[in-house]
Amino acid sequence: MDTSDSEHFESADEEFNSDTEDKNVKTKTISDTSETLKLKEMTISEESINVSNVKEVSTVNVVSNDNSCHDLKRKNVKPVVRNPTADKSDKRSKPGKLKLGVKLGTKITSTSCNAIKCDDVEDSKLKSNYDNKTSSSSKTNIDDNHKTCISALKDIKNEENLQKLDKREEIVLDEESNMWADDEWEPISSTDNKLTNKETNETNKTVQNNFSSGWGGWGNWDVTSLLSTATMGVTTITNHVSQGLTTVLESGIGVPDPEELARLNKMEGKSKESIEVDEEEEEKKEVDSKNNKSGVPDLTFGLGSFVSGVSQITKLVESTGNKVISSGLDTLETIGKKTMEVLQEGDPGLKKKRAFLKIDADKPVLSHILREAKEKAEQENRLAEEKHVSKKANYETLFDDHQGLAHLEALEMLSRQCDIKLKTLLESHSGADLIEMQETLSQIKELCELTDEDEDEKEELDESEIKEKIETAVTELNVSISYNKLMSTWKDISHWLENLDLNLYSAAQLHEESINILAQLTAVAVELFHKTGELLLIKEHRSTVDEADSLVQLTTTMTTLISDIAKKASNKLNEKATQSGSKDNVNQFITNVYFEATNSSSYIKNAFELLIPVLQVGAV
Amino acid sequence: MSYAYLFKYIIIGDTGVGKSCLLLQFTDKRFQPVHDLTIGVEFGARMITIDGKQIKLQIWDTAGQEAFRSITRSYYRGAAGALLVYDITRRETFNHLTTWLEDARQHSNSNMVIMLIGNKSDLESRREVKKEEGEAFAREHGLVFMETSAKTAANVEEAFINTAKEIYEKIQEGVFDINNEANGIKIGPQHSPTNPSLPGAGGQGGSQGGGCC
Repeated sequence: MDTSDSEHFESADEEFNSDTEDKNVKTKTISDTSETLKLKEMTISEESINVSNVKEVSTVNVVSNDNSCHDLKRKNVKPVVRNPTADKSDKRSKPGKLKLGVKLGTKITSTSCNAIKCDDVEDSKLKSNYDNKTSSSSKTNIDDNHKTCISALKDIKNEENLQKLDKREEIVLDEESNMWADDEWEPISSTDNKLTNKETNETNKTVQNNFSSGWGGWGNWDVTSLLSTATMGVTTITNHVSQGLTTVLESGIGVPDPEELARLNKMEGKSKESIEVDEEEEEKKEVDSKNNKSGVPDLTFGLGSFVSGVSQITKLVESTGNKVISSGLDTLETIGKKTMEVLQEGDPGLKKKRAFLKIDADKPVLSHILREAKEKAEQENRLAEEKHVSKKANYETLFDDHQGLAHLEALEMLSRQCDIKLKTLLESHSGADLIEMQETLSQIKELCELTDEDEDEKEELDESEIKEKIETAVTELNVSISYNKLMSTWKDISHWLENLDLNLYSAAQLHEESINILAQLTAVAVELFHKTGELLLIKEHRSTVDEADSLVQLTTTMTTLISDIAKKASNKLNEKATQSGSKDNVNQFITNVYFEATNSSSYIKNAFELLIPVLQVGAV
Repeated sequence: MSYAYLFKYIIIGDTGVGKSCLLLQFTDKRFQPVHDLTIGVEFGARMITIDGKQIKLQIWDTAGQEAFRSITRSYYRGAAGALLVYDITRRETFNHLTTWLEDARQHSNSNMVIMLIGNKSDLESRREVKKEEGEAFAREHGLVFMETSAKTAANVEEAFINTAKEIYEKIQEGVFDINNEANGIKIGPQHSPTNPSLPGAGGQGGSQGGGCC
């Protein structure tokens, strides 16, 4: 018995050596036990046995079984005799229960019950080595205590054994004296007086105070131990995480809630009263003072189990958490490195990608938006078709059918390429050169400012007038671009609108055709801009100012064409409405035509703006 | 018209090898003996069916002229397939293949399917590049090879459709990430979450997301 006992303690202590806090708990237990046995010949200090028992038992229980606290509560109510466990310790503990149960009531019942539980755990060998050691040491501890209570008061073996332990404990205390000096547990001992006064309410308050100071101590311990293994940044993170973990522990791992603790304390107070004897009072004071000397706080049942239990759990979670965090950081670092490698593949310095991202962040890609809108509309159409409803004219689909979307996409790519070139150039310049270049670029941008004037001024557009305008603009561009497509498209549309036989079309058909011609003309306009951009880029001698002027001119002319067509188309729709008399429906069509005409104009303007970098590249 | 996928193609190769004629033959089924020089890039689109799925091919027909090279290069990005065309009656167009291939590989995504095409196979009497040479080049560089005639339409359909099949297979194998538009593949509007063929995958993703939280 004694050899195995001390072995248990030795092995347990070895385990605890890495952890000061656990050692403290351990030492506390040893001291409690030894104190108890020193005093045993005079009186039985049930209380101190009780305290040490419960502390140790609950420590094991919390470590070995997350539900132990629930067990604890449950078994407080149930008499232990009904426990199905029938091993040695059960038999041994029964007499103890019978004797002490009278005095301590439910208190001791729960203690012995937990002792049995510990044995169960150990016997089934379900637990790790660490747990086994802890539980076995506590088992012997408990057994000793019970024997003390029952008949082993004069057991020399045990006395010898505990004397050994006592010596051992003194050594431990010497070694750890500095630790105790700084330990935040210290203030707790000051509450011992209150405990002896058996003022239950105050005890409860103290318990709560102890919680806060106890957790504070843990926080400090976290920081110091982690500082040695991790960088400052990591420490901060880990500390946060561990704080989070403790919060979780407090609420989630079966730790009794404050209410429960308060109740338990009250019960303890009552049990104390029931065993109140003057002699005991004296003894208890002695115990308390000795406990204070050794720095071990005399904790009430709830607090003791709570703190020591949590301390072990926290340690386990802490170490696991540290592993998780450190390996998580390693993984993150690896991912980050790999990402950079991939990003920099064929693009040293990420210049291209940076430029791309800048552009993408600045403005949404129009062709994408259009494509999305088109796809959405197509899906809607599909649904409509399923319902046998006539297909509605969709601008985006028609725009794509006329290759407008493809040209816009290509123009965007071109524009982006020029942007990258410009940004690379800007990066290679510095000082006065850079300022000069930036000025040039902004001057070009100013040249390309579109004015929103005279959209309503031009009532009627003469064909030759339009042709002249476009011709002049294209000539100034000085590229071999053909504007024939634009002209012929516009002529066809105008011709169709003028010679339209309203009787051949329904209002819906007319509306659809109007949307179609708008989409067609816009697609041609975008194509013209795209081609212009390509040709400007391969042009030998650039004249940016002229180019900008003529492009502005082209843009205004084309938007004028769009609004002209929209006007003509809506006039036709109005005529149709007057003819058929269904005004409501047609009004909606007219609104839609104007809406799509506005869209067309903004697409054309957008295409023109995409050309600005092309012009800028020519100037620098 | 709704489609399951949209593939972006580029057609590249020396000027005058018949790139635009191939496109015209494929999209319009006609041949134009004299074609204007392409400026920058032109577009064509056609719907095909692979494995019972409607696939829209959006073809970017680039200018072959040296002057446009820097411009056309910027259009390579985001293409799922490329038709690299040479003229079997002009050896220099075959000799330039390496340059074109390097260009294409450098400016497009690595998974792009490249089809090597020896065009003008109808002009057998003027042939300067043997079919075996084309085959050898293709084998050496991991390309698919075919001799076509935009004039007689021989193998034109096959060239475009076989490329699409290869891309489609790569999608099935999971080589192409269809959600990344830089790969030149877009999922058609019918492949929205309302499509009965997709909710399985969507639901799976959702449950996985729930599991990790």
